[in-house]
Amino acid sequence: MAAYFIRRILLTIPTFIGVTLIVFMVTRIVPGGPLERRIMELRQASAAQGGSSTSIVDSTTMIPKTALNELKKTFNLDKPAYVAYTIWLKNVFQLDLGRSFFYKEPVWEMITSRFPISLTFGLTGFILSYLVCIPLGIYKALKHGTPFDFVSSAIVFIGYSIPGWAMGVLLLLFLASGRFVDVMPLGGIRSSSFDELPKMVQSSEEVEGVSDEFGTFQWERLTPISKFVDIVYHMILPVFCYMLSGFATLTVLMKNALMENLGQDYVRTGFAKGLSERRVIFMHTLRNSLIPLATGLGHALSLIMAGSYLIEFVFNIDGLGYLGFNAIVQRDYAVVMGILVINTMLTLFGNIFSDVLYALIDPRIRFD
Amino acid sequence: MNANRTQNDLSKQKPLLEVRDLRTYFRVEGGIAKAVDGVSFDVYPDEVIGIVGESGSGKSVTSLSIMRLIPDPPGFIAGGEIWFNEQNLIDLTYDEMRRVRGNEIGMIFQEPMTALNPVFTVGMQVMEAVRTHQKVSRKEARNLAIEILDKVGILDADRRLKDYPHQFSGGMRQRVMLAMALVCNPQLLIADEPTTALDVTTQAQILDLMLELKAEHERGSIMLITHDLGVVAETCDRVIVMYGGKLQEMGSVEQIFEDPQHPYTRGLLDSLPSHQRPGEDRLRAIPGNVPSIMDLPSGCKFCTRCEDAVIGCENTEPPLYDVGEGHLVRCHLLEDAVK
Amino acid sequence: MTKPLLEVKNLSIKYPIWGGVLRHKVNEVCAVDDVSFTINVGETLGLVGESGCGKTTVAKSIVNIHRAMTPGVAQEGEILFHTDDGPVNVLELDRSQMRSLRAQIQIIFQDPFSSLNPRMTVGNIIDGPLRLHSGKTASERRERVAYFLERVGLQPEHAGRYPHEFSGGQRQRVGIARALAVQPKLIVADEAVSALDVSVQAQVLNLLQDLQDEFSLTYLFVAHDLSVVHHISDRIAVMYLGKIVEMGDSDSVYKTPSHPYSQALISAVPQPIPRRVR
Repeated sequence: MAAYFIRRILLTIPTFIGVTLIVFMVTRIVPGGPLERRIMELRQASAAQGGSSTSIVDSTTMIPKTALNELKKTFNLDKPAYVAYTIWLKNVFQLDLGRSFFYKEPVWEMITSRFPISLTFGLTGFILSYLVCIPLGIYKALKHGTPFDFVSSAIVFIGYSIPGWAMGVLLLLFLASGRFVDVMPLGGIRSSSFDELPKMVQSSEEVEGVSDEFGTFQWERLTPISKFVDIVYHMILPVFCYMLSGFATLTVLMKNALMENLGQDYVRTGFAKGLSERRVIFMHTLRNSLIPLATGLGHALSLIMAGSYLIEFVFNIDGLGYLGFNAIVQRDYAVVMGILVINTMLTLFGNIFSDVLYALIDPRIRFD
Repeated sequence: MNANRTQNDLSKQKPLLEVRDLRTYFRVEGGIAKAVDGVSFDVYPDEVIGIVGESGSGKSVTSLSIMRLIPDPPGFIAGGEIWFNEQNLIDLTYDEMRRVRGNEIGMIFQEPMTALNPVFTVGMQVMEAVRTHQKVSRKEARNLAIEILDKVGILDADRRLKDYPHQFSGGMRQRVMLAMALVCNPQLLIADEPTTALDVTTQAQILDLMLELKAEHERGSIMLITHDLGVVAETCDRVIVMYGGKLQEMGSVEQIFEDPQHPYTRGLLDSLPSHQRPGEDRLRAIPGNVPSIMDLPSGCKFCTRCEDAVIGCENTEPPLYDVGEGHLVRCHLLEDAVK
Repeated sequence: MTKPLLEVKNLSIKYPIWGGVLRHKVNEVCAVDDVSFTINVGETLGLVGESGCGKTTVAKSIVNIHRAMTPGVAQEGEILFHTDDGPVNVLELDRSQMRSLRAQIQIIFQDPFSSLNPRMTVGNIIDGPLRLHSGKTASERRERVAYFLERVGLQPEHAGRYPHEFSGGQRQRVGIARALAVQPKLIVADEAVSALDVSVQAQVLNLLQDLQDEFSLTYLFVAHDLSVVHHISDRIAVMYLGKIVEMGDSDSVYKTPSHPYSQALISAVPQPIPRRVR
């Protein structure tokens, strides 16, 4: 068993290199990269200056050769691809993910500062889904074939068939735009003015108390309870959208696993021993039914932390997903690669974590 | 084993279990499947009674009905009485029935592979059976579990309590099942195809063990449900032959094997390779297939495959004729013989 | 007539056990250990033993489905099958050679529920190997399917039905018809009647015997039930822990076994004779 996990951990190294190498090479091949962008910027700048420069100009890019070489050097484009990749990889192992081409900030800091935001949303959605789906799945299994089962399945599958971000747009339109009702915030992770605060916070805080001497709203001056309420208020819609897609899968997985286990021979043995129905269901079948759910847990790990590009985009949440989305649009390859590093590590270790859980929950599982 | 005990000797005793006109039906698409349809028999103290039959005969449903373990829906007990210890099991509430299961009647099943919960230790599962019925401490339950596992032949029982079912072989698992069923010292053990999934040598060990344990328990009885006539012959005192949800023939093991009266019982015995007559190359198989319980004839259930069937067999259900010494046979052909 | 059809010579089959960080072969299990036997044309050899003794492994290697199913399996020895053009070593055949040999060696499995494709009609199931091996036209094949259905005790109109519409015994008949349709020389029956009810088992055993006479088939009958094996076989080989511990004439092995294991095995079989009468 130990050998298995050591092998799995060792295998993450070639996998990690494989994944990052492919993306790294793509970033060097695909046109419209950072170099071209800088060249465009420089050309526009020199055009604005009247183009009086006398230095030797590169014939294709029409900018000074020295400047071009300088640029290539900063992006490591003057070296062969494999050398550039090795340099990048070496830096990664020293937790140096480079600087964003766009924001000029260290990528590592950009990621870590957004990490708590995505984690809060992801983890809340994740815990809530399990808290709702497991009991719901159990109840549906026990009430299999009843109207409750049917109606709840219908609702859950409607939710499944609507993408989270699309639901987000709908919810914002109906609940936050003011066109119908205006009870929810339009986005962000906290209020930026007193008027945006939820009603119950507004009633408990003084406008003067939370404004500075210029009358500007200062969120930090809210009481801890008000801060919490405000954050929760902003989290409701996005978290709901996060949960939406996984909800059906999880509920149905739980229901089917329990139903399957209720039909197993050991259930009959339990009853034949004189055990109560409660004990047979919650003691004997539940643990068996949780096995398939546990395997999903490790995979969920990466989903939780990585955030969702589109949902963060719709709700204007400055999380990892949003960062990654913008980085791709802006060809900010340092950030793209940085996020790729994080996501790959999460997926690889999430899968190993799944296996550990699997072995813990099911004594029959012995990896070798 | 109680040598040469006949029905007449037995009837002087008070039965441990009396099954009267038991009817267990299943709601299926297109109607009601009468899996067990009016079965009556007694189980006496200190005997091994065998119920034999092929798939769909109703033998397993009969045993599950006694334990009230018929999955409902689709199954339900449509009528009859099951008297055990002065109480009609069918009238018991759910909680009263729970006190009977595993405590007064123990049960083991065919597949020892799947009949134990794979994610709990063997010790936990045996101790759970004790603590469900007896107010004992964990330590006492543990001791009782070790004692019974030791008795069923699990070596080093103390240590093996911590093991999971998959760490035991098939035969050992069936021993654990036996331990679990017997730990509360029930008066009746129902064994539903206990050795079908096992190898012959293991099967012999388990059957011997069951008889040994029964010998230790003064009034204990075993009800053995099986399709294997050899197993019945070797272990049972009395035999019930079922077909199409009905009891077709009942008698002592000698009556059934030496002097079978029902054409079905005779056909079953003739189907066995070991009953092949000298000089005959072929087995004398019963023609046709085991019918589905959904399309049984209204008269004798066996008449569609019976080579002795006469006109009228398919219309009226024959009664159970007593051909002497408690040997009961459900066949029209015996009408004259009995008179 | 004692012309050999199948000769198994010193067959050993070893399964690898993988382990360690680098997943190398750390050990191996010897499922079959130096097994040799011969089956003559028109004969039935019973191969009997308890679960895990290697009897099914032997059966599978005769139809050569190991290589495809288990990577890393090591097969030593020879399995000589005598075709009309001389003997071939089954273990050395490549995929296409094996395919053409399959017309002569067919296998019937234990579980008639899972060995038939539930989404194919019985007609198509039987037609499958025919289409591969016979080179006959569609209408000729249809006739053959109908003929063999009838021959195994089913109706020609059953060809349009699906396996789930049949009982266990009828499904096993379909399995037999499928094996029979390509007119093989050797049929390997792997626990072919074990899952059947007693009364139906007798019918299928009779059918197998009738077909053997009619088509001069040779059987390797693999089973755990000694009384069944004794009934149908001319000779019996008893396997234990991968080895054949005793082989001989059916009656003599069954009635006067000489190896201690065969003795134990045979004495463990419950006899349908009440204990007290014996």
